[in-house]
Amino acid sequence: MSIQERYRRPLAFAKLIAAVIILPILLPDKYVVTMMFFVAIYGVLSISLGLLVGYAGLFSLAQPTWFGLGAYIAGVLAARGIVPGSLGIVIAAVFVALVSYLLGLGVLRLKGHYLACATICVLIIGEIAFIQLSDITGGHSGLLDVPRLSLLGFAFKTDIHYYFLAWALCIACLCFFSNILCSRVGRAVKSSRDSDLASSAMGINIAKYRIQVFVLTSVASSLAGSILCFYLRFASPSIFSFSLLVQLILMIVVGGGGTLGGYLLGSFLIVWLGELLSVGLGKFLPVMTGEVQSIFFGLLIILFVIFLPDGLSRLPGKWFFLVKKVVGYLSITGKGLRLGQNGKGRSDS
Amino acid sequence: MEKEEAILEVAGISKRFGGILALNRISLCLEKGCIVSMIGPNGAGKTTFVNAVTGIRPPDRGEINFQGEAISGLPAHCIASKGISRTFQLEELFGSLTVLENAMVGCHTRSHCGIFRCGFRLGAFRSEEKRMSEEAMEVLSILGLNQKACDSISTLSLGERKLVGVARALCMRPKLLLLDEPVGGLAAHEIRKFVTLIEGLAKDGLSIFIIEHNMGFVMSISEKVIVLNQGAKIAEGPPAEVKRNKVVIKAYIGEEVP
Repeated sequence: MSIQERYRRPLAFAKLIAAVIILPILLPDKYVVTMMFFVAIYGVLSISLGLLVGYAGLFSLAQPTWFGLGAYIAGVLAARGIVPGSLGIVIAAVFVALVSYLLGLGVLRLKGHYLACATICVLIIGEIAFIQLSDITGGHSGLLDVPRLSLLGFAFKTDIHYYFLAWALCIACLCFFSNILCSRVGRAVKSSRDSDLASSAMGINIAKYRIQVFVLTSVASSLAGSILCFYLRFASPSIFSFSLLVQLILMIVVGGGGTLGGYLLGSFLIVWLGELLSVGLGKFLPVMTGEVQSIFFGLLIILFVIFLPDGLSRLPGKWFFLVKKVVGYLSITGKGLRLGQNGKGRSDS
Repeated sequence: MEKEEAILEVAGISKRFGGILALNRISLCLEKGCIVSMIGPNGAGKTTFVNAVTGIRPPDRGEINFQGEAISGLPAHCIASKGISRTFQLEELFGSLTVLENAMVGCHTRSHCGIFRCGFRLGAFRSEEKRMSEEAMEVLSILGLNQKACDSISTLSLGERKLVGVARALCMRPKLLLLDEPVGGLAAHEIRKFVTLIEGLAKDGLSIFIIEHNMGFVMSISEKVIVLNQGAKIAEGPPAEVKRNKVVIKAYIGEEVP
């Protein structure tokens, strides 16, 4: 392993940490700090989902539910004054770990689309439960009166406190999961996606590693949810709904490229893009902003899957390839049209 | 005495897929340090046999003993960790990993760091990781793949891929190695290299079981040949004897019309 290769990862982390610290000093703007807070929170989610889908090959789509459970459990416990916020976060994480473990025992036997179907049911059940358990969660009107968080005697009051808390979690997750990926456990997980036959013939207990990754990513999402709830001092079922899942998938597709950093990049781009869209559209279409945004995000997924299936993180050095691909695609469709006009099928030629 | 030397004893295993009896009460015994081959026409049940032994598709009936220990019914990863490793007819390599990483997956059963030690890089993590990569590299250089260690699987030729499969299996430090069509599609000089390699491994005490269609290869390398036809064992013995066996000739070529 060359020196360059060896220090590539620590260097990338150092750059990220430096950027996180310097940004609020350079731009002490409340708006920017808030947006970057959301980048970190959604970053945790997209890294978790990306690890499951991209590396482990598990199309588990229940991430918004773990996110919501983390928010609601910690939020409700704190709002009712049952336990302090910091303990609530731990209780939520343990509960989510337990639920995802029990769920994983059953659903992780499924593969591909079937797993996606099963976990999307979990997502829908979660969404309904958050609305219908209105005595506890506050239903549609949301969970109100969540107090500020205090952790180990430090009271988190301002945006900048939550900004650093969220980024600490995000970088910790990034570090933890990327460590796993370049270890024997990571190789076991990746190999089981490529060929589960060969993987088990190499003595790998696939079920064990799948469930471990499933539970750990769920816990990461739960922690992110708890922090979000304490920051907003509020939780509402619409935050943890299907549309969040679509955004998370978009983050993975846009950032993508089979690196965890790429998924974080996706979170950065989509959070800011969504914000710019809603600000920009707010002027022209004050009524339909949400709908137009959904349509735009949907189109973006389709375009990326066709033209940039590796996502933007692999783009440097690939732009030439992209241009070729776009030109090629256009010429194929052009040819197809011409053949159609002559009344001949493509198979005739 | 002879009982002690047997590494794998298979007693009457059967496997049925719907209406097809893919394995019909197969019994055999492999001795330690021997090279044994299994041949048979397409669909004879050779790969099914290997899948049954390795626990990937467990047999419906019968007993399998490995080093005197019953292994039939155990999950595949447990059987592998007891010291049986295999290659696949269709390679089944890990395409998203490099050659070295493929080999390192083979070291899995001989490393122990759990997910938390890996995630936090605690304890023996670093030394274990270093040991695994060194051992994998050693195996790769024995097979002549050390120049390709950092390449991705998709850039390799068929022969190199077959070797990566073998490297991966050898990294497990197995006691019994099952090779499913190891030289299928290889060029003559590659096969010659492979024969030297296999003979070297057997000399070091590894028991090797080969499934192959290439008769020249099988007859030159094996100490014992087992012939399978339509799920049943029809012959067993030294290569020269099997070559002359009437039943075997009939199964392969058909009967002379009187």
